[in-house]
Amino acid sequence: MKTTFRTRLGSLLGAACLVLSSLAGAEPLKIGYSDWPGWVAWEVGVEKQWFKEAGVDVEFEWFDYVASMDAFAAGQLQGVGMTNGDALVTGATGARSVMVLVNDYSDGNDMVIGGPGIAGVKDLKGKKIGVEIGFVSHLLLLDALKNNGMTEADVELVNVPTNETPQVLSSGQVDAIVAWQPNSGMALKLVPGSKAIYTSADQPGLIYDVLAVSPESLAANREDWMKVLKVWYRIVAYINDPKTRGDAVKIMASRVGVPPEEYEAFIAGTKILTLEEALPHMKKGDGFKSMYGSTQIADDFNVANKVYEKPQPVDAYIDPSLMNAL
Amino acid sequence: MTQTLQWFAPRRQLAPRPRLVLGIMSFVLPLLIWSLVSYVPWIWHPLVEVTEPGSVSYFKAGQRVERELFAAETAKALEAGAPQPQGTPANPVYLPAPHEVLQAFYLAFTAEPERRNEKWLHESLADSIYVIFWGFVISSIIGLPLGILCGTYDVFSRLAEPFVEFFRYLPAPAFGALAVAILGIYQAPKIAIIVIGTLFQQILVISNTTRKLDPALLEAAQTLGARRLSLLFRVVVPGIITDVYKDMRILLGWAWTYLIVAELIGTSSGITWFITQQARYKNFDNVFAAIMIIGIIGLSTDLLLAWLGRRIFPWQRAEARA
Amino acid sequence: MTRMQQFELPSYLEQSDAVRDRFARLRQRPVVLEVKGLNKDFETSHGPVTALRDISFVTHKREFVCVIGPSGCGKSTLIRILAGLETPTSGQLLLDGRAVHGPGPDRGMVFQSYTLFPWLTVKKNVMFGLERAGRGRLAAEEEAMQWIELVGLSKFARSYPHQLSGGMKQRVAIARALANQPRILLMDEPFGALDAQTRAKMQSYLMEIWKNIDITVLFITHDLDEAIYLADRILVLKAHPGEVQELIEVPVPQPRSPEQLLSPEFLATRKRLEELIHPPQDDAALSEDHLNMVRMVAVDDEVESVF
Ligand SMILES: Nc1ncnc2c1ncn2[C@@H]1O[C@H](COP(=O)(O)OP(=O)(O)O)[C@@H](O)[C@H]1O
Ligand SMILES: [Mg+2]
Repeated sequence: MKTTFRTRLGSLLGAACLVLSSLAGAEPLKIGYSDWPGWVAWEVGVEKQWFKEAGVDVEFEWFDYVASMDAFAAGQLQGVGMTNGDALVTGATGARSVMVLVNDYSDGNDMVIGGPGIAGVKDLKGKKIGVEIGFVSHLLLLDALKNNGMTEADVELVNVPTNETPQVLSSGQVDAIVAWQPNSGMALKLVPGSKAIYTSADQPGLIYDVLAVSPESLAANREDWMKVLKVWYRIVAYINDPKTRGDAVKIMASRVGVPPEEYEAFIAGTKILTLEEALPHMKKGDGFKSMYGSTQIADDFNVANKVYEKPQPVDAYIDPSLMNAL
Repeated sequence: MTQTLQWFAPRRQLAPRPRLVLGIMSFVLPLLIWSLVSYVPWIWHPLVEVTEPGSVSYFKAGQRVERELFAAETAKALEAGAPQPQGTPANPVYLPAPHEVLQAFYLAFTAEPERRNEKWLHESLADSIYVIFWGFVISSIIGLPLGILCGTYDVFSRLAEPFVEFFRYLPAPAFGALAVAILGIYQAPKIAIIVIGTLFQQILVISNTTRKLDPALLEAAQTLGARRLSLLFRVVVPGIITDVYKDMRILLGWAWTYLIVAELIGTSSGITWFITQQARYKNFDNVFAAIMIIGIIGLSTDLLLAWLGRRIFPWQRAEARA
Repeated sequence: MTRMQQFELPSYLEQSDAVRDRFARLRQRPVVLEVKGLNKDFETSHGPVTALRDISFVTHKREFVCVIGPSGCGKSTLIRILAGLETPTSGQLLLDGRAVHGPGPDRGMVFQSYTLFPWLTVKKNVMFGLERAGRGRLAAEEEAMQWIELVGLSKFARSYPHQLSGGMKQRVAIARALANQPRILLMDEPFGALDAQTRAKMQSYLMEIWKNIDITVLFITHDLDEAIYLADRILVLKAHPGEVQELIEVPVPQPRSPEQLLSPEFLATRKRLEELIHPPQDDAALSEDHLNMVRMVAVDDEVESVF
């Protein structure tokens, strides 16, 4: 969800030094994950030692999101948790990846938040909106405007780093902001009378969070990646089972260092997908319901916003075969 | 009376007792201000923490709202005869009260990790200190000799300093991705960032200190028969070493400031990453506790080094007393 | 010009038999230092400045020569060239008949600014040159202690320079220079920063040392009494450019003592030096020296006039 030119520069530098990691099978698979509920969920498998049980040698490395993509681009990781849009950005700047698993889609965590007096998207006409331009929140805003018969020209965009949006909204300098968790929740808490007027729950599939792996590693260690996916669905089951959900949330919350009660809210805005729920999204199609459609929209958006120049071959980035084989 | 006037005589050292008292005050005063702002309800406290939402639909218990808004809603409720909201004056979450920070400080060291591979706070601290230590050592291994050479011989100065002057303006964090690509994702790239952040300043600072050596000492040494290497090792090095030691103490402080960017590179670890993460979730009591830990570590290393310096350089110890 | 003028003074050129005899013997001694046609130009932002022009003189073994001249006439430049710390633009510098280039332990130097190594104790400071000369640690230590004793600082051998007074520091500096047993001791206004009392004491010390060891001294000062009191001969320089004005043989008999300060020979020499250094003819220059002052005391001030 969270990338910009800074990342591009980083990835470029990384790619410049990219020496393709050796395909030696003895090395453990290194997977970078970061602070997003759909990826924090991996922690449950790590804590429960299910990967060892499944007979696959993986190391999960905890990163800052941007740093994890840098490390992947530099060939230091074989897999990384990214959004489908960022997989394109990372690929366009040097490090191709294949998305083999969809962890979740944002289901309300990303929000357009109107300040006091803004009751709906239609009220935004002619208003100032704080948004980090070129990021997924920008994409969400465009979608909100489009569904309400407006375009970017009908509003005034103010470029604001996402983690500063709560303060900017509360200062009254803008009439609305676009942010994701935990910033969106902070803004709602901070600004009395503010409310979410459009969220990623209104457009499920706008942003998919995935496991992207390097094509070389996928070719060399396909069996191992299959095992990783199997563990993932064990984790999903553990989270969804009301008997074990409490334990799962506790593990996840401690990974990011917040109380479990607080973390529930973040998980609630994330639709973590079971295999049955995920498979339909892996079918080709247009629009946000399909990974292909959503990724195509992200590609168009990225090119339009000059995140990169050339459109990416979207189909080559998606490999549903592992999920289909489960 | 005259005594207090003397306190304001320029560059006059005070007697030991007032010095000690003032030194303690330098900590007590900020703490006092912080406590006043935190505990005295009519100082600052621009917000009201809602304890009872009453009839206001969007108020929730625990929410902090602006004072004016709270007053307006209370008035509205009063007019309508509906239940009034209740609340207490509060500061923004960014400024936790001293006791909250103290509690977080205590918990940080006593709360057991919840996951198998989660680290104790002191282990995170050890990671950070490891990064700082090696970053500073590596930087010094290169920077010290190079700085001294630049300050002593124009050849080295002309050869190195223009580039160093240029490079020191480049933001060290920008090399994060490159460092990860070359050095992997663990501690090595973090150490590299500390080195990049420290080294170039270090070369310039040390070479400037070296140039401040009284040239008459070099001349005197030459008339006593000192040549080339003995000039460097018997005069330049001992002549600047106390000032270099002071520089190094200051540079070590700079190295700490690079830690916060270094620890965002590669895998997330260490005390400053803890700060970043906790700030993201607005747990500012934890943030302040961690900031304080860094402050305590920094101050105590510096005091230790100052004490050690007085042991190592006896002529300087007596100088300070004289 | 001074209150001394009322006495009828002999010429400074008149020498008693003993003194004349001594100078005759002095000239027979071997030459230690010979300076031939020395010139020094400095490149400055305002173009070249001639600091020294055509300086020539010789110094005999165990002679005490003072160099005197107005401020800025090139005294320091001269002694720095002799020490090898500056290179002359042209001219020759012979020590025992051999040309010397660059600094070396054969010419000891004492600077006005002490220049003791602050990180070394008194003993280590004096050992510095000995160790550079390859003397073993123990030998150097023993030798250093002898020199420290000579300047009367045995009790302070373990002290650091900052713990010493100015006079003591300068005694250490002298001991340090002498420890190398140089052919000549070069001193650039060594007592210039000391108070009058200490300075007088230091002069006696120096005379004592000079009498007791085999050393030739070239001593720079701008203090006329100091020059006469210490020197066998005085080299008088004039400024802009620095040239030798006269080389005076001091008629005051050796050995010297403070009582001689009022002797006719002393006063005669002093008068001559004053004439050379403060020429009486330029009244115009003198009046220019006079500050152009406006009275700035209130007319009704309690003190009407300071006289
Ligand atoms: N390094 C230098 N560069 C330029 N001019 C110098 C330098 N050193 C001395 N001079 C000039 O040479 C002249 C003689 O200086 P100096 O030998 O210090 O005089 P003194 O010691 O007799 O007071 C002065 O005019 C001074 O400005
Ligand atoms: Mg001088």
